Amino acid sequence: MNVLKVSRLTIAAFVLPCLIIYVGIVFVPIIVSMYSGLLDWNGIGESKFIGLENFRNLFFHDPVFWPSVRRTLMFAVFSMAEIPVALLVAILLKRYVRRPNFLVSSYFLPVILSVVVVGQLWKTIYNPASMGGMLNQVLTTIGLESWTHTWLTEPAVAMYSLYFVALWQYLGYHTLIQYTGILNVPEEIYEAARIDGAEGFTADRYITFPNIIPIFKISIVLAFIGSLQSFDMVMVMTGGGPAHATDVISTHMYNMSFLSMKYGYGSSIAAFLVVLCLAATFLINLIFSKLEKRFS
Amino acid sequence: MNTSSVVQLNQQTATARRRRFSVAKTIVILFLSLLVVTQVYPLLWLVLYSLKTNEEILSGSFFALPHSFQWSNYSAALEGNYVRYLLNSLFVTSVTMAAVILLSSLCAFAISRFRWKYGQVVMLLFLVGMMIPMQATLLPLMIIFKNIHVLNTHLSLILPYVAFAMPIAVFILSGFMRSIPHEIEESAVMDGANVGRIFWSIILPVSVPPVMTVCILTFINIWNEYILAATFISSEKLKTLPFGVNSFVSQYSVNYGAIGAYLVLGALPVIIIYFLLADKITQGMVAGAVKG
Repeated sequence: MNVLKVSRLTIAAFVLPCLIIYVGIVFVPIIVSMYSGLLDWNGIGESKFIGLENFRNLFFHDPVFWPSVRRTLMFAVFSMAEIPVALLVAILLKRYVRRPNFLVSSYFLPVILSVVVVGQLWKTIYNPASMGGMLNQVLTTIGLESWTHTWLTEPAVAMYSLYFVALWQYLGYHTLIQYTGILNVPEEIYEAARIDGAEGFTADRYITFPNIIPIFKISIVLAFIGSLQSFDMVMVMTGGGPAHATDVISTHMYNMSFLSMKYGYGSSIAAFLVVLCLAATFLINLIFSKLEKRFS
Repeated sequence: MNTSSVVQLNQQTATARRRRFSVAKTIVILFLSLLVVTQVYPLLWLVLYSLKTNEEILSGSFFALPHSFQWSNYSAALEGNYVRYLLNSLFVTSVTMAAVILLSSLCAFAISRFRWKYGQVVMLLFLVGMMIPMQATLLPLMIIFKNIHVLNTHLSLILPYVAFAMPIAVFILSGFMRSIPHEIEESAVMDGANVGRIFWSIILPVSVPPVMTVCILTFINIWNEYILAATFISSEKLKTLPFGVNSFVSQYSVNYGAIGAYLVLGALPVIIIYFLLADKITQGMVAGAVKG
């Protein structure tokens, strides 16, 4: 039990500086934004209250909105599909490598880089071969010239090129999270299982998986929330183009507010994004609390 | 079947098993090494790229070494305000980190050690905040900052950076502080220490490990942040490194080598720190993820 009994003034002195900045910068803007979503406003001049008109337009008349939602969710799906791969790498690391430090640090290197460096680096890699792009040069060299694309300007492939960069950057993060989780499973359990004849992947099925479900959930939440917020990378690499082919929810919001000067409309997209994030987190927690119950 | 043949048979299966094991091991090691190549080679390629002439880049093959190192690419890049961006980033990041650690450790201390009603409510507020996407606050913050005249100052970056780093910091720190034995405070109170002193001379010094974790998380996030900087800052002389790098690269779209050089320079500070503190950084970021 907490022992320090202190005056209200002391509590305020400890809590308020932090809380005021936090509430003022995070919650107040969200509430302001929810309200602005009900306005017809360009952000500078007169505003007009139009109720749910923005949302009606968003859901029923905006040809860019639903595709951008779909791409955002696809982003999440791809990011989550990467986690089993990361888990496999983590299992292999633990089983076959005695000193994994070099490998782990190499895998992790892209994680610490700025999205600007990663985005611009891959933009350079995706350039046409005639502009020094590595990927197309590699393809040409190994005789797959027909596979070359202008990766970021063809609407059909541009979005996949972006997904790939995100997967590339965060593979190391998920691998390391899973790896740490596996290392925390007590070694005695594996030894006991070995006596009972469970080794290798059988042991993983019955010991590793159930034990790292909480860690798995962390990776899933990170991947999901990270993808819903996949913003900087798209802004750096394509800005949502060509012709909205790579727009995600947040870039659509940004372009609407700052390029089309529809501030109220942009705010309604922001409100949608907040609700989506909260709902997704709630849903993931629900699913995993069921899963944990089943396996324990 | 006599004994010797049984022994022989056993030996045979044993070697077979060992051989299959080593084949598996070789494949695994190859696979893991291949991953090192895919994760690291693009960066090495960038370094080579940054040292080539335009002709070499346009004509050349992707693995060729440059004929002679074109350091002039780097001098071209350095002319583009690199040092100023670097100093701006240093300033913004260090002020943010100091503020995050001070404010959130005070708050975490109050949540985890004081006897008061609303501790859990405050904690819940932070937990909800963790799920709120930063970019949803981008538009309203821009309007608010414009009205209170802090737009296009470093303060307009530091405030949201501090605010968005707080939830995870408070969460990690209060989790740790809760585990410190309460006898420490009891004896300190008996010795006549006041709350401020207990915090400053007892709790904070023992909380160094989680503070390090918070430092690493905050550093990596803030140092690399791009979109707020690009939205709130417009003066050339206030740009942070990621924003500066991005605007340089977008402007000089024909001098490929210089673009490469600028990207290398942009990545360099954080890579140097990573070389020095790789284990600390990986552990800190995983701890941050796991506890968050």
